[in-house]
Amino acid sequence: MLTTKINKRYKKWLLALLVLMLAGGGVVWYLFTLKYDDTASVKAHYTVNAMDFIKEFKQNMTSANKKYSEKIIVVNGTVSAIEMADTTANIKMVDTTNGAYIIFAFQQQHLQEAKAMKEGEAVSIKGSCSNGAFSNILEAEYITFKRCAANK
Amino acid sequence: MKKTILSVALVMATGLLFAQKKTTTSATVAFDATTAIDALPKAENKTVIASLDTKTGTIAFEAAVKSFAFSNPKIQEHFNSKGWMDSDQFSTATFKGSIVNLKDVKFNKDGTYAVTVTGDLTIHGETKPVESKGTITVSGKTIKATSDFTIKLEDYKVSGNAVAAGKVAKEPKITVVAEF
Repeated sequence: MLTTKINKRYKKWLLALLVLMLAGGGVVWYLFTLKYDDTASVKAHYTVNAMDFIKEFKQNMTSANKKYSEKIIVVNGTVSAIEMADTTANIKMVDTTNGAYIIFAFQQQHLQEAKAMKEGEAVSIKGSCSNGAFSNILEAEYITFKRCAANK
Repeated sequence: MKKTILSVALVMATGLLFAQKKTTTSATVAFDATTAIDALPKAENKTVIASLDTKTGTIAFEAAVKSFAFSNPKIQEHFNSKGWMDSDQFSTATFKGSIVNLKDVKFNKDGTYAVTVTGDLTIHGETKPVESKGTITVSGKTIKATSDFTIKLEDYKVSGNAVAAGKVAKEPKITVVAEF
């Protein structure tokens, strides 16, 4: 009788442990098979004007990075250059007074949008802001974006 | 008149001098640290700054660490965390070096040239001398530089459980492509 009771309790705990392990394994599997959403469908944290955005980084790089890094930002500005190479299509917005710039690397599914943009065109681009830094090569500040899409 | 000619000549000479140093803001650096048990640790940075001086053979790269884009958000987070690349503190990976066999490269003649590049690679605050083979392809006004090499993560004090568990390669492969 006592043995039966112990067996039942043992089985219950074993079942609970198994369920927990399966649930934990499921969460881990979910997290590591997760992919980024299409940026076009993601809500932006901020909407900014390109030149004001550059100014903010120039004034205080540390605080701007803290505020914007890894956030989804919509940037409105003028295309200064379209840089294409192999599978890349990057759009640049440059502050011509000092050479500081923002550069947007587009998601694969949105490459054609970048290629269709024209120099001098007013555009709106949404992407994940990586960070801003000072380039010793170019002697200018730059801000990089990844996983970008045209903002419609 | 003589002063005018001298001034024009100086301006032209300066212009030519600056044309030697070529830059791009869209070089690509990819790293592949995948293993047999994990295909996730690989990423590409498409906004790398690069420069090439065709007269001296000096070559340089700057890659924002947070611009390495992974397909998985969790891996992206781990990569940039304090325990890995600590990109808040070490925001940029850099290379400064030069082409060893510069005389073998004819920048004014279309062709493909094998090169050896040596220099200092700085990752995660650690600087190590490196040497790699590469190719320079000249086609009209375009110069394309490519190179593949591996690095040892431990040389740059990048380590963690994932490396020990065989989920991240100890010597990831780095691929560089820059079009000037």
